[in-house]
Amino acid sequence: MFEKHRTEWSRDHHGKYVVIQDSRALDEFFEAYDEAFRAGLREFGVSRNFLVKQIWVKEPIYFVA
Amino acid sequence: MAKLQVSWNPFDPADPGPCIRVIVMNTREAIEAGREIGLEYPEPHSITALLDTGSPFTIVSKTFAKNRKLVLTNAGMPIRTMGGDCSCDEYSGSVSFPGSDLPTIAVLRIRAADFNQEPFFSCIIGRDVLRNWDVCFDGRARRVTISAL
Repeated sequence: MFEKHRTEWSRDHHGKYVVIQDSRALDEFFEAYDEAFRAGLREFGVSRNFLVKQIWVKEPIYFVA
Repeated sequence: MAKLQVSWNPFDPADPGPCIRVIVMNTREAIEAGREIGLEYPEPHSITALLDTGSPFTIVSKTFAKNRKLVLTNAGMPIRTMGGDCSCDEYSGSVSFPGSDLPTIAVLRIRAADFNQEPFFSCIIGRDVLRNWDVCFDGRARRVTISAL
């Protein structure tokens, strides 16, 4: 689902968060992780996982020292 | 203003660095949602965490994240370390600081990775938390002072 929309979402919602469960994404895009998580929790609950994904054209690899 | 002081010994190479006690647990909203459908959650307990300006984010061990039943929100994200590339999972959680009046972080994206043979700490407090504080590393006094509004 995410990969299918990555290019389109990267263009319009770069750096924001999207919430996805299976083939369904919430309509809203979020500025912050906590907002996205809370929206996902309200919509999907905790019985099954949902994805909270920050939108990048290419996944960044962060350095941890 | 909330304040916490911890000591560490920068003159001892075996000292792991400045550590504090933290409680990492599910968010209040996740616990409430889970209990509504009959899920049970472990009692919170504190763990030792390293203050690490070299990490962009807060990390716990994968085993800890699963044992605490944190809510998984992403998996298999790549990170780069001096030992090479590895992957981490992402969980939501809250972070509080027992024994201090530092404000609790109600919802934080917490990474989970394998902590290989690390005897001193089981959590890394990264810049995603440190950015909320005024942190003074006083090496000569062997002391770290954390202040937060």
